[in-house]
Amino acid sequence: MVASIAKLKVEDLKVAYGDKQVIHGISYEIPPNEIFGVIGPAQSGKTSMLRVINRTIEFTPNAKVSGKIEIDGEDAFRMKDVYGYRRRIGMVAPLPVGLPLTIYDNVAFAPRSFGMKDKDQLDALVQKCLEQAALWDEVKDRLDSLGTKLSGGQQQRLTIARALSHQPEVLCLDEFSIAIDPVTTMKIEDVLKELRESMTIILVTNLVQQARRLAKRTMFLLNGELVEEGDTEKMFSGDADNPKTNEFVSGAFG
Amino acid sequence: MSEPVDNAKRFTKTPSVVRKERNEKIAQFVFLSMTLAMVLPLVLIVGFLVFKAWPSLSLDFIFDMPRNGMREGGIWPAFLGTLYLVIISLMIAAPIGVMAAVYLNEYAKDNWLTRTINLAVINLAGVPSIVHALFGLGAFVYAAKMGTSIIAASLTLAVMTLPVIIASTKEALSAVPMSFRQASWNMGVSRWQTIWRIVLPNSISGILTGIILQVSRAAGETAPIMFTGAVISVNIAKDQLFAYGLTDECMALAMHLYTISTQIPNVPESLQFAIAVALLGVVLLVNALSISLRVYLRTHRKW
Repeated sequence: MVASIAKLKVEDLKVAYGDKQVIHGISYEIPPNEIFGVIGPAQSGKTSMLRVINRTIEFTPNAKVSGKIEIDGEDAFRMKDVYGYRRRIGMVAPLPVGLPLTIYDNVAFAPRSFGMKDKDQLDALVQKCLEQAALWDEVKDRLDSLGTKLSGGQQQRLTIARALSHQPEVLCLDEFSIAIDPVTTMKIEDVLKELRESMTIILVTNLVQQARRLAKRTMFLLNGELVEEGDTEKMFSGDADNPKTNEFVSGAFG
Repeated sequence: MSEPVDNAKRFTKTPSVVRKERNEKIAQFVFLSMTLAMVLPLVLIVGFLVFKAWPSLSLDFIFDMPRNGMREGGIWPAFLGTLYLVIISLMIAAPIGVMAAVYLNEYAKDNWLTRTINLAVINLAGVPSIVHALFGLGAFVYAAKMGTSIIAASLTLAVMTLPVIIASTKEALSAVPMSFRQASWNMGVSRWQTIWRIVLPNSISGILTGIILQVSRAAGETAPIMFTGAVISVNIAKDQLFAYGLTDECMALAMHLYTISTQIPNVPESLQFAIAVALLGVVLLVNALSISLRVYLRTHRKW
């Protein structure tokens, strides 16, 4: 069931670094307020795809991108205000990155750079983001301490809070749980279920079970090609259309 | 059941442990002695200098004019001249060097032009100072018609220190993890804002260290200034901090030391050593300023 206008529509996306083609033309649509799982082994183009979505791939000099990405029906590549566009996309990297600033400044960094100066407004936003990332209770008494001093799991939630600080419409998580413990992972997964109410989430994950727990639909990438995309339950139940999908989700390779 | 553990045995050193402990001690001793071998000559040199210079050293020595054909009196014109040269050359070289390094490290695409520039910077850093001196003479003194002057000498020193500042700044910038920049870009923060608010604050210590090292070089070099601005003797108003103008010729400590030691007969030995101590003092003074700036920036991370 695809809604009338997809939140994010990717058409025939191709990416190459120099001569090396890493994504060979993939197309899919994500309706609003859905968690969309992306699975696939290493080198399948997952991270490159996310970097295209938020257009930070433009910082890689030899990257060539073709195809089309539409957000709310607008052509993302043609948008003149690339910074404003990136604000609409939240990005969480695989390894937690606490910027060497205080916890408060970590979260207030993006809003400040867009010119938000009002102290009360910032305070409220920082609190809201930290609450959404399930970190507020642990850090509310030490917002002035360095973000890099937090534990790995807390830093990852700080990263999520930072990604939320510019109030994105699409949140991309790139294997967010590889550096954190299962308990924290479950905490963040609960967070994601709540965030789904207000945004669209792309969940790139290596944990097949995580995609199964969270995603409504899932896409399986292999060597830069879209092998299969469909309802998560169908993909993981063992009777997916493509035999490779069945092999991957059952742990035969990858 | 396993055998009961023999407690006596547990607390006895096995031969392998004895060997390891011995090696550990040897390693520690070797590294300690190397450290001392490095520190000891330094202490000896400084101690020797101060000891030899003692009869001439006093506060007056710094603030007094040279007298009796520079065989007596103080070094005020040379002291002030060196301060001028070091500070002006750094004021020129540091901003240009840091900004060039930011461009090369943060913005420049990896193409043949960038690679050529990088190669040139590294090679320029190794050019002998006398070559810079001739360049300064041709470019600033004659071509730009500055004459032998403080500004020409400072520019020459700036040209000499620039490549090293660029190289060390680039090093400091590239030590900032890429992930910091990416995290910032991901939030829609522009490149410049990322550089200003993430990259520079995290590399400022390294950048300043590179600049500090160039202070000693600018203060100590004789060759680049002796054709371009430094003279053997000059008369300036005493006790006045702004006695020199930019277009004046000046005296400089390194040059002064060279003159006193080689050109003028019957100079008391302690005078030469006192000048050396003063030169050391100027370097330490400027270094101390930069180091305190670094400490200040480190404790006040936000800027």
